[in-house]
Amino acid sequence: MDWELMWDSVPALLAAVPLTLQLVALALLLGLGMAALAAWARLSGHAVAAGAASAYVFVFRGTPLLVQIFLIYYGLSQFEAVRASLFWPLLREPYWCAILALMLNTGAYQSEIIRGAILSVPQGQVEAARACGMSRLLLFRRIVLPVAVRQALPAYGNEIILMVKASSLASTITLLEITGVARRIISQTYAVFEIFIVAGILYLLINFAAARLIRWAEWRMTPHLRARV
Amino acid sequence: MHAHPPSSPSAPEAVVIHDLHKRFGSLEVLKGVSLTAHEGDVLTLIGSSGSGKSTLLRCVNMLEVPDSGRVVIGGEEIRLKTKGGRTVPADPKQVDRVRTRLGMVFQSFNLWSHMTILQNVIEAPVHVLGVPKAEAAERARMLLDKVGILAKAESYPVELSGGQQQRAAIARALAMQPKVMLFDEPTSALDPELVGEVLGVIRQLAEEGNTMIVVTHEMGFAREVSSEVVFLHQGRIEERGRPGKVLVDPESERVRQFLSRHLSGGA
Repeated sequence: MDWELMWDSVPALLAAVPLTLQLVALALLLGLGMAALAAWARLSGHAVAAGAASAYVFVFRGTPLLVQIFLIYYGLSQFEAVRASLFWPLLREPYWCAILALMLNTGAYQSEIIRGAILSVPQGQVEAARACGMSRLLLFRRIVLPVAVRQALPAYGNEIILMVKASSLASTITLLEITGVARRIISQTYAVFEIFIVAGILYLLINFAAARLIRWAEWRMTPHLRARV
Repeated sequence: MHAHPPSSPSAPEAVVIHDLHKRFGSLEVLKGVSLTAHEGDVLTLIGSSGSGKSTLLRCVNMLEVPDSGRVVIGGEEIRLKTKGGRTVPADPKQVDRVRTRLGMVFQSFNLWSHMTILQNVIEAPVHVLGVPKAEAAERARMLLDKVGILAKAESYPVELSGGQQQRAAIARALAMQPKVMLFDEPTSALDPELVGEVLGVIRQLAEEGNTMIVVTHEMGFAREVSSEVVFLHQGRIEERGRPGKVLVDPESERVRQFLSRHLSGGA
């Protein structure tokens, strides 16, 4: 083990952390919008919307993220129509291709989390709200959403951690996030073991912080599950 | 034991149900039921499970939408229409508005688990009726005091016994100052030793002259508080009348058999 090399690689790898965090945060946020839309479509009872959402979830959950990234980055540019479209300035950037792929992928998973959480809201509590004359929107905002969010948090925390790790695949399309920088340093030093250990530790620290954050949010939002004796 | 005074036909009609039909798939649960509750009436619906009494009650506030028939609340008929072969409310806003005048108490309490008891009680007055929060909270405390659980105002539902939860649910329904209270087997999910405290609260509401429709299996209670007892059998009204008559000397052999099964422990 070359300890000195490991130590020397830390600043370069740390400098790549913001890009990793950016990819994860943007993908999660945009994916949440995508997921809310898909979950709403599936729960709407509207056959066409529900079918489209199901197909989306089926495809993006059922294929590897790496394949999705390659298809978007290398695949889409083959079509003249794509290159001519107003999305091209975005789609030719590996950064946006990575975010698009991560977003579509996590959106599929998140929509299932949201759908499950909404379905888990006890029917009796929904009925009680309807019985007091709450409109559908008010009922969703005051009863369904708060209960569903609490229900979804553990699974959502999991999804955040998975996304932090999945973002390493962005290195395959030239992005210099943590794994990308690690691979570049390795190509110059051949110290595969040392550098990937440092990179791994950085992912571990990020996920540790993410897990603590989620645990804290869970604790804050579930006073009703903490029995006060 | 004192029965509720007989319903005065001159009192305004609080709830009118006319020729209600409801079917779940191939099962016809209500086969043409008509019923009227005047203001101040306490109607109890009794019958075996599957007789349609809960469905009938749930049709009053449109938690179940009848396939045909009319429901009139305080003189306002709930408009229904047919859509894709199903009957649905013509105007969801009308249903929401009518529901604010009907308080419902469920068998399984259905308190909102993420809110404290006080929050449960002020939720609908504040967010549906637009009552200022302080005013709603003051009234909520009064109601919680009335049902005997003011000390639990800041607790969450999970911290309460079943009887306490049901009393909180009654306070929540009363907080809307409803014209009619609907009780759907309010004591059926309770341990036997907790039934009394809930029945005590409902009895008090009856004595105060509230209009109520109660689905119950508690025959002693029904006899004590009802102005009219309605016995349902397979989606039809088998017999109805004064509790002193229906529960003591019924015309129908079915009611007689039902009572002999239910009175042994209850009264």
